[in-house]
Parts: sequence; C-alpha cells; structure tokens
Amino acid sequence: MTISRMLSTIVLVSAFMAAVSMMGCSRDEPSVGLFLYNEADPYIKEFAKQIMEESGPVFTPVQYDAGNSQLIQNEQLEGLLVRNPALVIVNPVDRLSSHSVLRKLQAAGIPGIFFNREPLAGDLALWEKSYYVGAKAEQSGQLQAQLVMQLFGGEPENLNGYDRNDDGRIQAIILKGEQGHQDAEIRTREVLRSFEAAGFIVEVLALEIANWNRDEAYAKMGPLLKDYRNNVELVVSNNDAMALGAISMMRQTGMFQDSNRNGRIDRSDELWIPVVGIDGLKEAEGSIAEGYLYGTVKNDSLSMAKAIVELSGILLGHIDPSMARYPVEDGTYIWIDYRPFISEQ
Amino acid sequence: MSKPSISIGLNIFIATMGIVSVILLLTSLVFLAVFSRTIDDVVVTQSREINKQIVMNFEGYINSVIETANYIQFASFDMDTETDAEALAELYRTNSDMKKDVVAVFLFDAAGRTLVGPTLDFTLADSVAALPWFSLARDLKEIFHFSSTGESSIAGGRDEGVISVSKSIEYTRNGITSDGVLLIELNNESITDLARKTNLGEGGHLLILDDRDALLYSSEPPQGTMTAASYALARSLYLGGTRASIERVDMYLYVNTLLHTRWRIVTVSNVDEINGAMRRISGILVAIFAVAVAVSAAVAGIISLQVSRPVTQLRKVMRRIEEGDFSMPVDVSGQKEIVLLSHSFSSMVQKIQELMARLVAEQREKRKTELRALQNQINPHFLYNTLDSIVWLAENQRTGDVITTVVALARLFRISISKGENFITVQDEVSHVRNYLTIQTIRYQDKFTYELELQPDMSEMKVMKLILQPLVENAIQHGVGDDDGHITITGTIEGDFMVFRVSNTGYGIPDSKIEEMYETMRGGTEHPSVGMRNVYQRLKLYYGEQADITISSVQDESTTMTIFIPVDGREGRQP
Repeated sequence: MTISRMLSTIVLVSAFMAAVSMMGCSRDEPSVGLFLYNEADPYIKEFAKQIMEESGPVFTPVQYDAGNSQLIQNEQLEGLLVRNPALVIVNPVDRLSSHSVLRKLQAAGIPGIFFNREPLAGDLALWEKSYYVGAKAEQSGQLQAQLVMQLFGGEPENLNGYDRNDDGRIQAIILKGEQGHQDAEIRTREVLRSFEAAGFIVEVLALEIANWNRDEAYAKMGPLLKDYRNNVELVVSNNDAMALGAISMMRQTGMFQDSNRNGRIDRSDELWIPVVGIDGLKEAEGSIAEGYLYGTVKNDSLSMAKAIVELSGILLGHIDPSMARYPVEDGTYIWIDYRPFISEQ
Repeated sequence: MSKPSISIGLNIFIATMGIVSVILLLTSLVFLAVFSRTIDDVVVTQSREINKQIVMNFEGYINSVIETANYIQFASFDMDTETDAEALAELYRTNSDMKKDVVAVFLFDAAGRTLVGPTLDFTLADSVAALPWFSLARDLKEIFHFSSTGESSIAGGRDEGVISVSKSIEYTRNGITSDGVLLIELNNESITDLARKTNLGEGGHLLILDDRDALLYSSEPPQGTMTAASYALARSLYLGGTRASIERVDMYLYVNTLLHTRWRIVTVSNVDEINGAMRRISGILVAIFAVAVAVSAAVAGIISLQVSRPVTQLRKVMRRIEEGDFSMPVDVSGQKEIVLLSHSFSSMVQKIQELMARLVAEQREKRKTELRALQNQINPHFLYNTLDSIVWLAENQRTGDVITTVVALARLFRISISKGENFITVQDEVSHVRNYLTIQTIRYQDKFTYELELQPDMSEMKVMKLILQPLVENAIQHGVGDDDGHITITGTIEGDFMVFRVSNTGYGIPDSKIEEMYETMRGGTEHPSVGMRNVYQRLKLYYGEQADITISSVQDESTTMTIFIPVDGREGRQP
C-alpha cells in the first residue's frame, strides 16, 4: 500500500537525518586542552607556540585563550572537562582560583599540568596527578641583580664608569609588574635583596607599577624621566615588555645614541644607562643585539615547553618515564632554571 | 486486483490524513525538541551570565579592597612606623573611616603586637597571634587571606561578623624592614548589597563557600531548607553548572571562582520557567495539531467527495445502460478527468446505440428477406402438382375442370402475391384456402369433402397471409385416404386470440408422430414437409411467443391442428 510505503520512507529519512546529526557530534574529542591566561601576552603567545611545536609528534592540544579572565577560563575548562579529556595543561589567570580547578580535576580524575602561574603548594597537594612546570621566581631577581653587578664592575666599593655621578651608589628606577602579584613582589624583592646581600647600595628613585604592560611602562616612564633623567643610572623591570616600553620613552628623550656610528648603540655614551628585563622575549633579544636593552633573564620557555610536552607524553602513556630528561621533584614540580642573557660589548 | 479494495474517496482521505498527521507529528516533535533545547540553552546561558555578572561585581569589590590593601602596604613600607607614626595612623584611620565597608585596619608585628590601628581590648591584645587570619598570613606570605569566621571585629563595637583580609607585609620601623601582618576588617554590607542586586528568579539565591567548603555567605537565611539543600549540593561542585531539583523546583547551580580568593560563588537560579514554557508550547502545538487535522480532514473529505461523486454518478449511468436503458443522458459534472471520461463514455454509448439500431434494422431486413423466401417456398410444390393435375385433366378432356382449376390457381396466386403485402384480411386468406381446396378437390377427384366456417366479425381482420393453406395441405395428405375424407376449417375469436382450426377425418396420428411434428415445426430436424414448419416459424417470427400451433388427434377418428394468433399482436410487431 502506498500509505505504508510513504510512512516507511518518512521514517527512513528521519532516521538518516538523525544518523547524520549524530555523526556530526561524534567528531574526534580533544584529548588534551591547553588553557592560556591571555594570548595577548607575547610571552604566553610564544610559549604556547613552543608547546604546540614540541607536542607536534606526540599529541595535539586544543588551545584556549581566556583573555585574562578567570571566568572565561573556568567556562573553557568546564566545557572541555565534560568531554573527559586525557589531560589539561593550564596557565591560570588567577593562581588562587586553581584551588577550585584542582578540586574539579580531582573529582573528574583528570591529570593537570600548570605553568607560568604557580598554584599554592597546598592546592597542588589536593590532587596527586597535578604538576607545576616553571621557574623559581626568586632566581629571576637574583640573576637580574647579578647582571647589573657584573656591569658595574662586580665590586661594591669600586663602581666603574656606569656609576655616572660617581657617588658609589646606584640610582635606580624599578618598574613593577603588578602590585600584589606574586612574581612582581618576588622579583622586586629578590633583586633588591641580592644587591643588598652583595653589598651594593641601590637607591630606588622611584618604584612604578606598570602591570606588566609595555604601553603602560612607556606612558609612566615619561614623567619619571622628567624628574630623574639626569640622576638615573639603572632601570630594573619585572619583565621585558615593560623594559621595552621604558626604552621607547627613553629614546624619545634623546637617550641611547650611536656616537661612534658603528651601527650599535654605545654603552660608553653618557646617555646610555642599563635597562634590565626578565623573560627573554624575541623582541628583547633584538633590542639587546642593537644595544638598547642591556640584558634580560630568560625565562627558558623552550625548556619549559619541552618539559611540559615530556610530562604530558608520560601522563598520556606515550613516553617511558625512565627516559625523562626533566625530573619531577616531590612528585609535583619540574623546575626550569632562568638563564641570563646579555650581549658582549 | 480481484479483491475489491477500498474506494477512491476513502483512499484519498486516508492518504491525506496519514501524510498530514505524520508530517505534523514529526514537525511538532522536532520543533519541541529544538525549542526545548534552545530554551534550555537560553536559560542556562542566562543563568551563567547572571553568575558571571555577580562574580564580576564581587571581583570589582575584591579588587578595590586589594587596591586599598596594596596602597596601605606600600605606605607601610614607605613610611616609618616609628618616625612617621602620626601620618601612618592617620592614613589607616582615613581608610577605615572613608570606606563604609571597612570596619578597621591594623598592622601587627610578627608577634601580633599592634603597630598601627585602633587600640585593642586588653584581653585580646595578647592573643592576636593565635587568631586564624594571623597564622594564615604568616604561613603563606604572598597572598591575601580572606577569612570569614563569623567572629565580630577585634576592634569591638559591632556584633555582626566581619571578613578578615590579612596579608604578610613588610614595614619599616626605625629604618629597619621587618615582616608584619596587615589586617583589614570588612563588614558584610557590601557583599549583601552585591547579592541583593542579583536576579536569580523566585527562590534563587547565592552562596559563597570557602576552600574548606564552609558556607561564608548566603543571600537567603542559611537555616532555610532551600539553602540547606543547595549548600549540600554545592559542597561537591567545584566549577561549572548543573541542573538540580531543589524542593521540587528546577534550579540551575553555577559555580565560579572568586578572584584573589580560594572561594567559590554558587548561584542557584530558578529555571522552572522552562517547564512552564514547555507546557505552554506543548499546549499550543496540540491545539495547532488538532486544528490542522480537523481542517485537513474537512479538505480531504471534500476532495475525496469531489472525486468519488462523479465516479459514482458515472457508475449509476453505466449500470442503467448495462440493464439496457439508454434513455438516461450521460451528464456528469466534477473533475476534468472524470468529465472527459464521461464524455468518452457518452460518445461510446451513442455509438453503441447507433450500432444497435443498425443491427435491428439489418435484422428486420433479414427477416423480411427470410419471410419472402419462406413464402416463396410454397409455390413450386403446389404449382408443380397443380400443373400436373391440369395436364391430367386436359388429357382426360375435362375442359370445365381445367378452367375451374386454372381460374382458382390464378386467384390463388393473386392472393399469394397480394401486391407484396404480408398481411391480408382473414376473408382473403380464407378465399385463398378455398381456391386451393377447389384445385385439390378436382385433383383428388372428390375423394374428400370440406367445409369452411368463419365467424363473420373476423373477416376484415388482418392476418399473416398463407398460414391456413399449409395446414389444409397437411390435412389433405393425412386425411384423404380410400374412404371419403372430410376437412373442416373454422375461424373463431376466442378471447384475445384468433383461432383457426383445421380438422380432418382419418386414422389419426399417433402421439409419437405428433411429437415428431412439433419437433419438425420448431426446426429441430429437417423434414420433407416444410409447410408446417414454415408457418410455425413465420408465426413465431411475427407474433412472438403467444402465437402457437397445436396438434391433437383422436385415434381412428380425426386430427385437428389449431393456430392461435393474438388479435392485437400484429400491430405491436408490425415492422
């Protein structure tokens, strides 16, 4: 009968459509998520790129950008966790929010690797399959101080020509990342502490907060130079971005000259003062090569990326733990050393 | 298909209704599914957005607190607590007085002694270092510790609980930098204000849980059953959203973290409206379904009637034609195809009618020809015998008899011809027989006698010609033997029939012979005596079944043959 044939056709068509839509849903589930606090941060952008490149042969993480909002990151995490990923790699927006994230991961039984912003040790202890890959913030400040002391001759009693006013003290401007931010606090504290420990007397002309931001550092450097252009002997920045921002403003006021016209900025020039950063951005390396930026402390993101990928490989069962090049300390931490980076001149 | 399947109309109706129902049902189901998913998404998204808005409001607040704390921290490092004591105390005071949410601001040294801030109660002064917020700040120096134990301010004065924000900071005293603890006490007002601005639907509320899952704040009284139930659920939720039925109300719980704290904010939004909306939309769909089914039933009914009615009409006409009634005009209105069909049928019927008319005419023509042939069959026998007897008479010099015979023969033939008419008056038929008898008496040399009797009022009636003569011929053959035979011919009207009887004396005919004669008459077997059969068949041909010939016989006495002809039969059948 025609009617039954028609009915069966309709049923077939709807079944087919249902099947098609089901197939649409059952695409490959992402097994690894890479959560970034903010891709607008060039350091993070580069870091993520390195992770993606390194992970290439082992696995393919799906990248999420939280745009510097923990709320967005929470949502992104929630969205992936319901699909039961094999692993999450998290660069938290807010380190304290990691408390809830870790409990969530523990409840779901999903291992998590944290990087760039360190969750509290107590929170990492909540979940045995949680890890932190990073550098000890103290080290960056210490290395930064060492670079400066090296430039000034290494002897606190006998500063060389970079002590422009020859008063035996170093007049410094400090660009701080973020008031209350763990890294900013530690870096600032450690650099000053290291000077003190070595016997160098550093006189802080100004401590300006520029929120890790290049433009903000550039803007805030203007009024500072108005006051201290003739006194300042050193600019210590919590990161490269702010250091580069400061250099832009300093160049605008006529500092940094190629007086012997060798294509490089001359340190011997009266208007050259050392600026030191932390992170080791590509652009910072360029600036060092040109002679503007004196040096930086490289947050060895490449090694960190390698360590993260290696640890991921182990957790995913792709890599034999006995072959690991980056040892896990206390079952949780992989520490990557900072590396000082300057140009010899 | 031999099985009579269901009618066209019913078929159309069922098919239409089937399609309409299936399509409507599928559409409704798909719509409901999509709608429910969409409204679900919308409500969930809305709940999430509300949660995020709330969290952002709280974040804004927390940030402002931290900004204040940072400012104080910076000042405490910058200004000497000993030499700038006055200015620093003023700064602390200003911050707690200007901001209505700040209850008090303190700076303690590592041992818990007050450096800056309101003077503490004597009993409390020694035990500051043992308070939870103090040890938290000492244990973990980098972060701000938000704790809400429900205790009232250590500064006293207020009964309500405060939120203690503590952090280890560096301060300068007599030029020496040391670690101390900054404490900012906040009242609940700001949080309550922030929570009050939210719209979480009826019964919706907000919870804040700390890192130990303790309930720090609830926008509804924490003793309420609703709050208790949602708190129980929230304890095991760390991030993200989930649907739950709380106190038989559909709720959406969404958990988010609060920046700079290890707390989590749980919003419980009423999403019961989804059910209401689903009920409403289902009702509307059912109504649409019912109306659509009713309308399509009506339309399908009308269409099926429109299709089936002309077909039924056509069938009625066909049946009547089947029964032989061509009088009804084939006039069917309705669908184009059916009308065309009826036109075709109509012209077919017309053709059939024409064909039938032609057939009838042809049959009639054929009958006439047959009849003429039958009539003409009589003549050669008789003519031969008569001419033979005339020759015999002439040889015997019986001139008178020759004349009589020839005259009678001439009359006989004139009546036979009778200007080509098939029907003649009874009188003429009788005189035809009389002429015949005249000839036969002469031929048989008066071996028989005869008498003719005719009811006078039938003499002008018309009758088929040449029906009596064969019977008389038969009577002469059987009745004229050695003895003198006698033949009686009568014509009477009996009821509706003209009845002609021809009787002859003789041995009679046995029954078996009579049967044989009937057989012969009906044309069953061929027999030399064609006369009787000829008459019988002509009678039947013209007068139909009512006309008949019967034969009766009495052994050794007589034989009578009777012709029945309906009086008015001729007119109806007259061609």
